[in-house]
Amino acid sequence: MAGTRIPPGVFVAALAVVAVAAPLAMPTPFYVDIMIRVALFSFIGVAWNLLGGYAKQLSLGHAAFFGLGAYTSTILEVNYGVSPWIGMLAGGVVAAAASLPIGAMCFRLRGPYFAISTIATAQVLMLLFLKFRGLAWGAEGTTIPNLGDAPLMMQFAAKAAYYYVALALLAVALVVTWLIERSWMGYYLVALGEDEDAAEAVGVNVPRIKRHVFAISAFLTGLAGTFYIQYIYFIDPNTAFSFNISVEAALVSIVGGIGTLWGPVLGTALLEVTSALLQSWLGAGLGGVQLTIYALILMAVILLRPTGLIGLLTDARDRLFGGGKRTKEVVFDG
Amino acid sequence: MLITLAQAVVNGLLIGGIYALVSIGVTLIFGVVKVVNFAQGEFVMLGMYVSFFLATRLGMDPIVSLVVSVPVLFVLGMLLQHYLIRRVLGLGDMPQIFLTFALSLLMMNVALMAFSANYRTIQTAYSNLALHFGGLYVPVPKLIAFAVAMGLSALLWVFLKTTDLGKAMRAAAQNYDVAMLMGINPDRVFAVAVGIAIALAGAAGSLLMAFYPAYPMVGQVFVLMAFVAVVLGTLGNVTGALIAGLMMGVAESLGIQFVGADSGMIVVFVMFLVTLMIRPNGLFGGWAR
Repeated sequence: MAGTRIPPGVFVAALAVVAVAAPLAMPTPFYVDIMIRVALFSFIGVAWNLLGGYAKQLSLGHAAFFGLGAYTSTILEVNYGVSPWIGMLAGGVVAAAASLPIGAMCFRLRGPYFAISTIATAQVLMLLFLKFRGLAWGAEGTTIPNLGDAPLMMQFAAKAAYYYVALALLAVALVVTWLIERSWMGYYLVALGEDEDAAEAVGVNVPRIKRHVFAISAFLTGLAGTFYIQYIYFIDPNTAFSFNISVEAALVSIVGGIGTLWGPVLGTALLEVTSALLQSWLGAGLGGVQLTIYALILMAVILLRPTGLIGLLTDARDRLFGGGKRTKEVVFDG
Repeated sequence: MLITLAQAVVNGLLIGGIYALVSIGVTLIFGVVKVVNFAQGEFVMLGMYVSFFLATRLGMDPIVSLVVSVPVLFVLGMLLQHYLIRRVLGLGDMPQIFLTFALSLLMMNVALMAFSANYRTIQTAYSNLALHFGGLYVPVPKLIAFAVAMGLSALLWVFLKTTDLGKAMRAAAQNYDVAMLMGINPDRVFAVAVGIAIALAGAAGSLLMAFYPAYPMVGQVFVLMAFVAVVLGTLGNVTGALIAGLMMGVAESLGIQFVGADSGMIVVFVMFLVTLMIRPNGLFGGWAR
């Protein structure tokens, strides 16, 4: 054996150190803002990936859970003075609870029509929040009262603090995914993602697994909603239930590598950095450029490398450090 | 009350004709090629802009401009099948959904850059004309659009029922493998099916241009309606999509009339979700064509 294989833990530890230290190296808050977006959308992507990547239930309606989480914590804070830290958990619970009836309806459909039915549920929720003013401020939305530096109310003077909150959320989602990946649930998920009927036939309780993974994914996405609203200090139905949230959640996972632990993180980093660069070259003036580029990247990935870009990285790692699959195969061949 | 109800139904049927054209296109592609085209609405948008520019630059009537938009979009549809959809056939849900989804994003945002977000409308001699039938008000441009939409649907029905190519299409939709064994050339059948579907979307766009504003995101309204109609009408069923498209129009219109001006979509989506709960296979089961 050319046994110089570096254990994956080393890569993760190195990445964590870089991620934690990075804000210190950023010259202006503009860059910290980009990093917050990367961490946040990676988090949403990882949450989406549990359902969309492992179980292959391609949701285009995760904005529903993002919005429910956002509204739950905001209503609790603005109307009852509850800290968003508690509101965040409550929002996650509300989102997870909502996933049950939504799943009961949408899981009746498969493939593209599942995706469409999730778009419909997110749209219905947005329209309900727009129409019923009694529910929560209607179309005007509301601002979050600015308390200055109030960490207990999830408000920070330093931008970097928001980054660390988003990073912590991302770490939680990655650990959850990693644990699921290695548990019986992970195998069941992959099995049902490959072929639902076959999984059912060999005794996987498909409806139950789908329900569970949907609830976990919704819970995490709900947390993201609270964080985002706390960060921008404003909520309205078009922001909280924005179709773009649903799209980006799916997009970053697919571009990075669907059904892989690190895929959504890689995808988000690539897309967000591309979009930030575009913005600094072109200014904010030309609408449509960012999504045009996203669409072209998505098309290229689907046509040329449908397993996502993460494969390029793992290949490179294996070449550089002589790791992974190749060594294992040699071992088995004896 | 009764006249209000009747008026709402008429309004719904008139716009429902357009929904039906878009829905038939979606269901035709799904039935034959087994791919859901998320970009169908963007081809409606393209048809609208084709007619808009023909009207403003050359003074061509939007209904007349069908003779341009339909063949142009037919060719685009064949290219779409040949260069994009063909490459993801049999690759599973993810590439099939997100390829056309990416195309939809691309077309919307290129349109945004090229044409700006402004709403574009055109005035025709008959834009403000309306017929009156015993208290019912029927705007002429919508009536023309409805009549042409129904005519095109009938034409498609005749094509599918009587021509060899139409029969080949239905055969490929019913059982792909057996159809291929019978000597049907899939590339040709698929390209023509997608071409027709996209041409129908273009026709819907041209017909809409006489009374509806064109803007880059306009397709989203129509494609969502079409998806709902296609599920209600049973996936892949052309007649089902036609009837469900008309029903969508009526449901939306009744929602606007009796629930509130901004509630049309809520009514449609709720109807969709309720139908899923009670009849997940759609209202018109089987492959009846």
